Amino acid sequence: MIALGACSLCAYGQLTAAQRQLNIDSFEKVWITIRDKHWEKNPGGLDWHAVHEEFRPKIEQAQTMEQARAVLREMLGRLHETHFAIFPGGGVYDAVQEGVQGPGSTGIDLRILDGEAVVTSVDPGSPAELAGVQRGWAIREVNGMPLGDAIRQLSSDPSIPEITLTRAILARLSGPAGGKIRIGFAAAGDVPTTLQLALAEPRGIPAGFGNLPPQPVWIETKKLDRTGYIRFNMFLDVVRVMNSFAKMIADCQKCDGLILDLRGNPGGIGAMAMGMAGYLVRKPGLRLGTMYTREASLNFIINPRTPGFSGPVAVLLDAESASTSEILAGGLKDLGRARIFGTRSAAAALPSVIERLPNGDGFQYAVANYISEGGKPLEGAGVQPDIEVKLSRHALLSGHDTVLDAALQWIKSETAASHAAQ
Amino acid sequence: MNRRIALLALLAAVAPFAAPSRAADEALPPAEKILDRYIEVTGGKAVYDKRKSEISSGHIEFAAGGITGSIVRYAAEPDKYYSAMDIQGLGKVEMGVADGIAWEKSALLGARIKDGEERAQAMREARMNSSYHWRELYTKAETAGVETVDGQECYKVVMTPAAGKPETLYFEKKSGLLRKTSLIAASQMGDVPAELIAAEYKDFGGMLAPSKIIQKAAGQEFTITIDSVKANEPIPADRFALPPEIQALVKK
Repeated sequence: MIALGACSLCAYGQLTAAQRQLNIDSFEKVWITIRDKHWEKNPGGLDWHAVHEEFRPKIEQAQTMEQARAVLREMLGRLHETHFAIFPGGGVYDAVQEGVQGPGSTGIDLRILDGEAVVTSVDPGSPAELAGVQRGWAIREVNGMPLGDAIRQLSSDPSIPEITLTRAILARLSGPAGGKIRIGFAAAGDVPTTLQLALAEPRGIPAGFGNLPPQPVWIETKKLDRTGYIRFNMFLDVVRVMNSFAKMIADCQKCDGLILDLRGNPGGIGAMAMGMAGYLVRKPGLRLGTMYTREASLNFIINPRTPGFSGPVAVLLDAESASTSEILAGGLKDLGRARIFGTRSAAAALPSVIERLPNGDGFQYAVANYISEGGKPLEGAGVQPDIEVKLSRHALLSGHDTVLDAALQWIKSETAASHAAQ
Repeated sequence: MNRRIALLALLAAVAPFAAPSRAADEALPPAEKILDRYIEVTGGKAVYDKRKSEISSGHIEFAAGGITGSIVRYAAEPDKYYSAMDIQGLGKVEMGVADGIAWEKSALLGARIKDGEERAQAMREARMNSSYHWRELYTKAETAGVETVDGQECYKVVMTPAAGKPETLYFEKKSGLLRKTSLIAASQMGDVPAELIAAEYKDFGGMLAPSKIIQKAAGQEFTITIDSVKANEPIPADRFALPPEIQALVKK
């Protein structure tokens, strides 16, 4: 959740008295939030009051925004935990916080492959598809601004994880629906191709949940030969997504295998992981993992559901697979119920929020810890694939999704082995 | 007392809640007297005796998360119960008790039959007029002291059920009304410390009952507002029937 603040501060130079007070207010908000919401009474094993006594004089003495941020970061660094961060307001980092700049989309999804922004999928019926954009095309510039510098700058910042980098670049390709955007591509053979693309309503049906603004949610189910395939972009819109998931399972009773493609899925409602796992697990009493709050341990219990699916399950992940995606994938992996293909997930499996501080900066903090059933935390570690497979621009240009291909091949071999055993 | 325990499967962090306690320096009334007084001040024995069924409806709000929903609850003698919560963005969560089976069903998590302490707790809550029939549901009730709840001095009564963990009830000394319940809610996800605060009472056709209940569990706070309570109205014959998914689980 982002609580919009009301302050804009200069990035450089001495601060006014009012600006220094906003930094002090921000410090107090950060300190109080962790004191009250961290899952440990002594956050990070520290005497949190002593931390306040140590850092309060420092924030009072900070003369610039950089000094103020350094104080807050140093204080957060004492926790030695990920997903406690301060994001400066302004510049390229605005995209880091805000994600998409507007609801309009070209229909392009991209990943950073070998230092380049590469088209990895094109939404059906989207402006990009209608204009002939293909998977594997590299995106070199947007509205005349080269992407290379932004990619290099954000890639070199260790506080910016890959998921955030991708979103920041993707934000450059969005804007208000109805607008237009000019993109310079390198098409097949590196042929420069500039296209003016419309920005349309993004794919999916808007679905809200609480304070979360409505998000467009889509789900895709199909059969790839004798293998079922399910992909959806967020764990939201419970009734529609769960019903579609259930229908796919029911239609796939005789499938050789099932592929659950969670690439790019940033998560959503955690309980949906439990619900989906219920279609894949037959034995009662199993769990995906446990969430630890200050007062309670909450088990992500799986209720076996009927009809379920008993065949091989492959889960596809990449660095954009986060939160509930990681809970589901990590739990199924730990239970030995799914084989994971792709690359390491985002390692962002805590329920964390981002709020705006009084001084305009962003403050991210986690509110609970989560340990997957295998006993390891997902936060900071992510879900490691059983079979690491990377996308490549070359393969995409020749029409191959190497990750999906690997999963299909595995299901084929499992089926053959099963038939041989019989 | 109508207690609603609606633990959703999206619980997150818990903020600890500590009420100040002071040593009892006065003679404490026996728990039976406090519990019987609650019956008197909320309508009296005759009203409870006449009450064979109940339909209540209202809404639920999780203000911090911006989540709202509706609730409807049916109850009938002796321990038939059905409730449906329709939460925006989550869909419907249904719960019921019939023929000794406590169940839950949702698009989110599927259908399941409750067991162990969770079942025992559901059975207690399903008992029609449970506050009137507490002697059937608890093996022991003890007055444990006096505490202040929201500025009101309350008798603290610890109720020990036949199965499950003790529950602590706080009755206002002045009015006799139940102001707070503290318990360990048994849920599928685990035991969760929970508090239910009866913030407001309303006269529903001659019976005083909580009309606003603040439920705190796992760091989240829900407000349940009961808009309507109708006693002894006709209830559809199949209202308490086990859903097909639950019947299928029973047959297994």
